[in-house]
Formats: sequence, C-alpha cells, structure tokens
Amino acid sequence: MRKLAVLATSVALLASSSFAKEISVGVTMSMSGPLAAYGQTAYEGIEFANSLQPKLKNGDTVKLVLIDTKGDKVESANATTRLISSDKVVGIIGELTSTNTAQVMAIAEKKQIPVISPVATNDKLTEQKEFANRVCFTDSFQGAVVANYAAKDLKLKTAVVVVDQAQVYSLGLAKAFTDAFTKAGGKIVKEIKVSSGDKDFKAVVSQIKAANPDFMFLPMYHPEVSMIARQAKQIGLTKPMFSGDGVANQTFIDLGGEAVEGYMFTDFFDYSAPPTQRSKDFIAAYAKKTGKQEMNSFVALGADSYNVMVDAMNRCANPEDSICINKEIKSTTNFEGVSGVLTLDKTGNSTRSAVIKVVQNGKAVYKATVNP
Amino acid sequence: MDLTMFMQQMVNGFSLGSMYALIAIGYTMVYGVLRLINFAHGDIMMVGGFLGYFGIVVLDLPFGAAVLLAIVGSALLGMASDRIAYRPLRSAPKISLLITAIGVSFFLENAFNVFFGGVPKAFPVPAYLENVVDIVGLTMPVSAIIVPIITAFLLAIILWVLYKTKYGMAIRALAFDVGTVNLMGIDANRIITLVFGMGSALAAVGGIFWAVNYPSVEPMMGVLVGLKAFAAAVVGGIGSVGGAVLGGLIIGFTEVVVIAFFPELGGYKDAFAFIFLILILLFKPTGILGIDFEKSRF
Repeated sequence: MRKLAVLATSVALLASSSFAKEISVGVTMSMSGPLAAYGQTAYEGIEFANSLQPKLKNGDTVKLVLIDTKGDKVESANATTRLISSDKVVGIIGELTSTNTAQVMAIAEKKQIPVISPVATNDKLTEQKEFANRVCFTDSFQGAVVANYAAKDLKLKTAVVVVDQAQVYSLGLAKAFTDAFTKAGGKIVKEIKVSSGDKDFKAVVSQIKAANPDFMFLPMYHPEVSMIARQAKQIGLTKPMFSGDGVANQTFIDLGGEAVEGYMFTDFFDYSAPPTQRSKDFIAAYAKKTGKQEMNSFVALGADSYNVMVDAMNRCANPEDSICINKEIKSTTNFEGVSGVLTLDKTGNSTRSAVIKVVQNGKAVYKATVNP
Repeated sequence: MDLTMFMQQMVNGFSLGSMYALIAIGYTMVYGVLRLINFAHGDIMMVGGFLGYFGIVVLDLPFGAAVLLAIVGSALLGMASDRIAYRPLRSAPKISLLITAIGVSFFLENAFNVFFGGVPKAFPVPAYLENVVDIVGLTMPVSAIIVPIITAFLLAIILWVLYKTKYGMAIRALAFDVGTVNLMGIDANRIITLVFGMGSALAAVGGIFWAVNYPSVEPMMGVLVGLKAFAAAVVGGIGSVGGAVLGGLIIGFTEVVVIAFFPELGGYKDAFAFIFLILILLFKPTGILGIDFEKSRF
C-alpha cells in the first residue's frame, strides 16, 4: 500500500513538472449585502490582476475561486472552510472588513493556508498568527495619520468621535485616533456609539451639534457615514468631518450627495498620483479595458493582494506548498505594487504610505501623501 | 439638556415612530384576520422603496406619480403573495404559514439582490422635501413634518374603512370567526386579499418615507425595520390598529431617547425595541391596547 502511495506521489510530481496545471486561489468577499461596494471593487482588481498575469513562471495557471460572504461573519467562516476543504485552495485573498477577516484568518490558521487581506486594517488581526498577512496599513498608523493631520496641519483642537461598536475596525481605529490625537494636544469632547445597520442618526447629530467640537471623526463604513453626513447637514451642523479608509469609494459620495462635499478621509492610493511604474501600467491597462481613467483604491489593493500571492508562489519550488507560500509572502521586500511600494514582515503587516483625500464636486481628490 | 434640544429629539422620535407605525399596521391587520405574522411585510416595504426609485430614476416620473406606482405595485405584490403563498395553506397548521412567510421574505430579498445587486442605490429625493425649515429654533427637514401628518391621515382612512364601511365590517367579522363569515355569504378570500392590499400599500408609503429620510434603497433594508415594526405591533397589542401606531411611536421615541440621554448606550438602541417586546410578552401578552382574542376581535 505504501509503495503504491509513493508511486502515486512520484507520478503526480512527475506530472506536475511536465504538464502545466491549474492551481486554485480562494477569494472571500462581500459581493452582496450592505458592504457589496467594497467586495465588488476589490474583486474587480483581483480579477484584472489575474487577467494580466494568469500564469506562474513554471507555466501553471492560477484559477480564482470566489465565494460571496454577503458581508456576514458566519458566511465568511463557512466560505473559508469550503475553499480549503472542497476547493483545495493554496491561499486565500480576503475578506475586507476586519470583523469578517478575523473569521477567515482564524480558520486558515488551523489549516495552515496563507491569507492576504487587501484592506482589513485592525491591529490585532495578525497578532499571534502565522498565516495572516495584509497589503494595507494598520489602524494605529491610519489613526495617527488622521490625528496628526487634524492637529498639526489643520490646527483643530477638539473632536467628537462616533464609533460603530459592531465593527472591530471602528473600535480599533477610534482608539488609535484617540490616543494619537490626545498625544498631539487635542481633546475628545464626546464619544458616541452607534451600530452598523442604523439609518437614523438624527439624535446622534443633534448631540454632536450640542457638543460643538472643532471637527468630527467617524471611523466607520460608508452606509452609516453617508447618512450621518446628510442628517448633520439637515440640522445645520457644518463642522469638518474625517474618516478612515472605510469611506474610500464612490458609493459613499453617491449616497452622501452634497452633504459630503469637503469630507476628508485617509486612503491607500490615488490614481492621479501613481506611486510606481507598475501602477502607471496597471492604470493604463485598466483605462483601456474599462474606458475610465479613475480607479478606486480597493481595485489597487485587490490587485496587490493577488500580485503578492503570485510573487510568493513563483518563489516556491512547489507553488502548491502553502507553507512555503506563506514564508515567501512574509519576506516580500520593497515589492513594486499597484498601490505603492510594499514591504511585509514576519508579523504579516505591511509598511506602506497613506494618502489623504477630500471630496470636491462629487469626486475624491488627492490632497497629500503620508509616509510611515 | 436644554428645551430646544429636547424638542428637537421629540420631533426626531415622532418622525421615526410614524414610519414604524405605518409598517406595524400591516402586521397587525394581517395578524388580525389570519393569525399570521407576515414576516415578508418588511420586504414589501423594501419593494415599495425600490418601485419609487424606479419610478423616478428609470421611468423619469414626477415624485407623486412614482409614489403612486410604489403603492399600487406593492399592494399588488402583497395580494399576489397571499394568493400564491398563503391561500393554499388556509387549512394548514399556523406554523406552516409562518415558515412560508419567512420563505417569501427570503425570496424577495434574494430576488432583488440577484437582479439589482447589493450596493445601496442613492434615492433621488425631491428638493422640496429636503429643504430645512426652522420652527421656533428647531431645525428639521420638511420630510420630518410631512411624515407624521401623512401617517395620521392614512390612519384615519384605515379606521374609517374598518369601522364605517361594509368591507370594514367584513374584515372585523373575519377577524372574529372565519367559518361563520363564510356561512354568511362573505367571500373570506376576497376580504383577506383586501387586507393584504391595504397593509402592503401602507408598507409602500413607509418604504418611500424610509428612502426619503435615509436616501438609499437596498435589498436588505426591510429586515431590521420589519422586525422593529413587528415588535411595535406586539408592544401596542397585535390585532389592534391603534395599538400598532402607539407601539410604533413608543419604539421610535425609545430609540431617540436612548441616544439623547445615554449616548454611550447608543449602539444598543436596537436592543431596546426587543427588550420592550420581551417585557410586554412577560407582563401583558396582549400588548398595551391589545385584544384578548379569546373574547373579542378588533
């Protein structure tokens, strides 16, 4: 029996070296549900990067297996199990929100399958995990960027923070911001808690108006933030508003309408200031395919998750060896990505720059780049 | 908290509560005649919002015409759901009906998800509804005033139909005893269809209000609202139209008050609707204005 197994393995090895095969990479994303805007844009980037670079250097083809998580954490966990056990993926790209990504990473960790999250920024996600990686920055970096920009560049002194307590992302970013803003000499005059899925924030904005801060920090996702912005405008609350990457998409501006004019947020990348040659090429190819110049940063981050994964697979003797892929992901250094120059370390976190954008005339406009 | 702030919050609560009330009326009426908690009701509201969106964006109708389209379309959908999903189960155990209602709910959510995608669509609100008015120091959009007024108007119509018309009498008789009503020569199915039509039309108005106040429509928008309106119907006394309105206002005010007085508990405001539900079920299972269905109806 053992001889047979050895024979079978050697035949398989032989086959793998002589014939190109298909290797599956899993993708878990919210393609429907309230956060579908994120999933659809990030997957657009992954798919496009896959079309530009469908083969490994040994000739094997990379096949994407997508499962819709509907933005739900239970669905995210189920999707991960299914990808690993029945689709036999060698690595997983996803999820997008930190809460859902935590589910994906917990399961993949046990099965020793590397995960690259495009945009999940919560600090704790990669702690004490060997197979968890990301191409985005963390909330402690992002929170400090916002806090320093507000305190030093805009000279704002008091802030109200609104936290979405149902989202790990929001809690983490709020804390990072609070710490950095207090350190920079600012003061948080009020913290208000809400829950994702809420639509009515009239009571919340009335509270903020009464507290009269210099500005508001809303570390949440776009469905809630766009409603807060609109309802704030209705009661004549016109203080500056700032968010993290949770609002970095056009849907936010579409939903917010005139109420989000002047809104500021941190993002990973801006198409009008391409940081690398690869971004220039990618943007040009993207423009040729879709007919539009502008590109959402989630597209770039999605593409980079794929690019880093493929790059790591290329550096492994056997591109199906998940443990080797993970090791190579973690030794990605000065990688020229679409969204910028990336360096991943042993913790799975990446060192990269952030950009600050402002909404002007219904478009997110590049304002500044902040390096770590 | 000063008086202006307090009044501002009261206005907010009244406006929100009115929307819950509109949807709760549909729950309560269907429950009254069929003893069915129609869990698809929140999704009928979602369809109402979407129809309004299509009326304005795709068909380029004026706002009023789009609202009419939403009302008629949702009423027809409500009646069709009864004809297709519930009528064949009239003599089946109540639990089968409940499960079917959940099925209809999932069907509507997923059908809209497949055809229109899950990304929220911005709802084009007419400028005159978004205008901000200032009344004795209270700032509010026109819609915050219009919503309670229209709710009160529609409530009056519903009460008039129930208590002053032949059909209303038939509905009340049906709530009392289905078997006898059939013996009296009333077509029970026709009356049930009418109840579904009325309830769904109100849900459509609720959906439009929702889309105007929080200008977006998406396939899952009816889920939480539906659950809260259901809680409102039970708190007010399921089977009672006045109770549904009262329950809606209570839930709406509670949400606002929780945030106004206990900002740190704001994230749990949804829980308060359900805490009310549990307390009511524990201490007064028939609800505040509830009717003991063993003794009398409506």
